[in-house]
Amino acid sequence: MSMIAFMAYKVNFFLIIIGPALVFFFIKYNLWSAIYSLKEGIQIQGYDFSEMINYQVWVLIVSLLSQGFFSSQLAEDIRLGRISSYLIYPFQFWQFHLASFLGFQTIQMAVAGFTILILFGSDLVQVPTWEILTSGLVMSFVVGLIWFSFQFLIGLSAFWLEETWVLRVILITVTQFLSGSILPLEFFPLWAKDLLSMTPFPYMTHVPVKIFMGAYEGSLPILVGILLLWLGIISLVCGLMWRSGLKRYSAAGM
Amino acid sequence: MRTVRKYLGVYEHFVMTCFAEAMTYRAHFVLLISMNFLFTLTSIGAVGFIFDHVDHVGPWDRSTFLFFVSFMLVVDHFHMSFFAESFWQFSDDLKRGMVDFILLRPIGGPFIIFFRHIRPGAILSSILSVIFLIHYGMEIGLSPVKWLILPFLVGLSLTLLVSLEILISMSMFWIVESFGINFLRMQFQQLSRWPNFVYQFWIQKIFIFFFPVLLVGSAPVRFLVDFGDWELLSYFVIALPMTWLFIHLFWKLGLRYYESASS
Repeated sequence: MSMIAFMAYKVNFFLIIIGPALVFFFIKYNLWSAIYSLKEGIQIQGYDFSEMINYQVWVLIVSLLSQGFFSSQLAEDIRLGRISSYLIYPFQFWQFHLASFLGFQTIQMAVAGFTILILFGSDLVQVPTWEILTSGLVMSFVVGLIWFSFQFLIGLSAFWLEETWVLRVILITVTQFLSGSILPLEFFPLWAKDLLSMTPFPYMTHVPVKIFMGAYEGSLPILVGILLLWLGIISLVCGLMWRSGLKRYSAAGM
Repeated sequence: MRTVRKYLGVYEHFVMTCFAEAMTYRAHFVLLISMNFLFTLTSIGAVGFIFDHVDHVGPWDRSTFLFFVSFMLVVDHFHMSFFAESFWQFSDDLKRGMVDFILLRPIGGPFIIFFRHIRPGAILSSILSVIFLIHYGMEIGLSPVKWLILPFLVGLSLTLLVSLEILISMSMFWIVESFGINFLRMQFQQLSRWPNFVYQFWIQKIFIFFFPVLLVGSAPVRFLVDFGDWELLSYFVIALPMTWLFIHLFWKLGLRYYESASS
C-alpha cells in the first residue's frame, strides 16, 4: 500500500526524492572537477580525481539507499489528530510507519540499483566485488533504519511543535555536512574528526561509502554493533517521547 | 504613486500579520533562527575546509570564494525571509482551489501570492551572513564605491532569483500535485550557490543563456571583484526583463488553464 501511495505521483516522487540527490551529485562532480583541473595528477588528502569522483558516486548511492525518507506524513497525522484511529488498530503507530518506510526502501533499492547499473557502465566508479557490494548494501539498510528513527523522532515532536519541517531541514543540513556527504571526513581538521567519531554522523555516509569503495579498515561486525547501539538509543528516546506525547494529545472525541 | 502607496500599505499589513504569527509560535521562531545559523556555518565551513587543502578554485582564492558564498547566503536569507514561504503556500492554494479568493481581491494576484508570507525569524538570522559578507569583503579589499553598490547588487540578485522561481512556479498550474515543483525550484537555487566557472562549458551556457540561474550570484560578484569583468552583468540586465515577460505570459496562460471548485 505504501509503495502504491509513494508512486501515485511519479513526477513528485522524482522531484522530491531522486532529483535533489542527483543535483547534489551533479554540483559536487563539477566542483571537484574544477578543483582537480588546476593541477594534473594532484592528490588531496589521499584522493586523486578519480577516487574523489568514486567517493561522490557512492555518496549518491548511499543517500538514495538510506536518507530519502521523510516524516512529514507522521507529523501531520499527529498535528491533525489522525492518530486516534491508530490507538485502536491491532498494530502500533510505529509499526505502521516502519512498514511505510520499508515500502519506501524497496522503491529506493530499485532506483539505487538502476543508478548503480548505469554508473557501472561509465568510468566514474570502480566496480566492487559481490562481497563488498553486499556489505555496503546491508550497512546502508542499517543506516536507513537509523535515518528512519531520526525522522520518527522529529515527527513525534509534532506533539509539542506547530511545525516540524525546520527540524527536518536541520537534520539534513547537519547530516550532509558532518557525515562526509559534501566532502570526505579526511578534509576535516583532526579535532573535528575526533569529535565526530563520538557521534553517529560518520556512520551515516562516510563509513558506508568507504565500505562500498573497499577502503574500510575496521571490523564489520563491530560496526554493525555500534550502529545497532545508536539505533537502540534513538528508539529508546522515541519510545519515551511517544509516551510523553500521548499524555498531551487531544483530538475530537477524546 | 497612489498605486505604490496602496501596495505598500497592504505589504505593511502582511508584515505585521506575519510578525504576530511568529510571536505566537516562539519555538518555531527560535528553531528557524537556529536552522539558518547552521546553514550559514556549514556552508562557510565546507568551503573553508576545502581551502585548507587547495590555494585556488578556478581563478579565485579563499577570501574571494568565501565572499561569493557569503553574498549568496545573504541573498538566500533574504529570499527565505520574504519569499520562500509564499511558494509553498501557492502550491497548497492551487491544490485546494484557494486561488479564486485571491483573484477576487482588488489588488494584483501575483503580488498577494508571492509577497504575502514573511518569516521574521529568517530576517534576524540573516545578520550572521551579513557579518560574513562584510568580513570577506574587507579581506578582499573592496573599495568604498564597491561597498556602496554592494547592497544594490544584493537586491538585484534577489530580484532575479525570485523572478526565476516565480517563473518555475507558473508550471504548478499544469501539474496536479505541484508540491514537487518547490523542490525543483530549490535545486535551481542550489546550482546558483556556486560560481559559474565551477561548471563545465555547456552547463554554463545553458544556465546563463537558457535559464539564467548562474547569473544570480556570479554576475554581481565577478563585477564587484573586478569592475572590468562586466560581461555577465550585461547578460543579467537582459535576463531580468525577459524573465518578467515570461512570467506575465505564463501567468495569463496558467489562469486560463486553472480549474477550481468555483470555475
